[in-house]
Amino acid sequence: MAGQGLKYVKVRDHLRSLVTHELAVGDPIPSERILCEQFGVSRMTVRQAVDALVVEGLLVREQGRGTFVAPIKVDLEVRLSSFDEEMQRRGMTPSSKVLASEVVDAAPDVADALELLPGERVFSLYRVRLADGEPMAVEQSWLPMRLVPGLLDEGVPESLYAELRRRGLEPDWGEDVVAAAEADGEDAALLGIEPGRAVLRLTRRTFAGQVATVYSRSVYRADRYVLWVPLRRPQRPLTPRTTGPRTTKDER
Amino acid sequence: MSDRHDDVATRAAEILAALGGVTNIVEIEPCTTRLRSEVHDPAAVDVKALRAAGAHGVMISGRVVQVVMGPEVDVIASDLEDLL
Repeated sequence: MAGQGLKYVKVRDHLRSLVTHELAVGDPIPSERILCEQFGVSRMTVRQAVDALVVEGLLVREQGRGTFVAPIKVDLEVRLSSFDEEMQRRGMTPSSKVLASEVVDAAPDVADALELLPGERVFSLYRVRLADGEPMAVEQSWLPMRLVPGLLDEGVPESLYAELRRRGLEPDWGEDVVAAAEADGEDAALLGIEPGRAVLRLTRRTFAGQVATVYSRSVYRADRYVLWVPLRRPQRPLTPRTTGPRTTKDER
Repeated sequence: MSDRHDDVATRAAEILAALGGVTNIVEIEPCTTRLRSEVHDPAAVDVKALRAAGAHGVMISGRVVQVVMGPEVDVIASDLEDLL
């Protein structure tokens, strides 16, 4: 059994490097027969390896046609830039479909995130974000009404960040929380994917200095996005110069 | 400039007090937008006072207390260093 498991990993990793280094998007992968001969494994083992990469989103299977290299995933860098800016940076044309834009009472979670009192008025936007006409994300955003009066007077701004900049409220920091989830029926329909497929749920608070400006909840297609996170060594922690009456050792 | 610096220095003192004072601190690490601190006694942490000192959020998990401050954490941290 262990030998069989190892063979499956070998085929899978061979295919993975083919996809990332030799084949182009839309290219077919070698046939099952060729892979069986090349690795001396059963069709079952080859299928298992291909299945794994289909689930991972590197390959797409098309009924009756074969298995092909899937479109490259967009690296979703958790950085403070708008969807439009990110897509343009990648040479894609961004657009939005506005599903709703209104003024509502802030729900407790929205009020908390925007540092408002519950019930304070907020602009609420519900949009599908598209790149080259293809749905990539569904996004709900809220902005305090008194912070950006008249925001929707001439329709929904093309870019919220650009509009905030224009008003001297340039977003300069924020925090994202990203979670893996399955698409619910509504999100799936809007994204053009099957319900239950993997998505990334991104919750963002955006600030201009000390002022909370935007709170948003987005759902990104996991078959088109990967999360890219830069890492660096943590800064040196600060510790008290003198040990207090209680020491860490006693507590542990 | 000096006003702003005094303001941050005051804020650092307020944050330290709200975290239960020097004797409650194991360590504090500035981390991009948050002060991540490990304390001896999480019950000695005053969340309301942290919010009043300008925190945009406080997450407590076990003995780790994370205080959301924004990019100012670096300046606050250097003031905290003087106070610890």
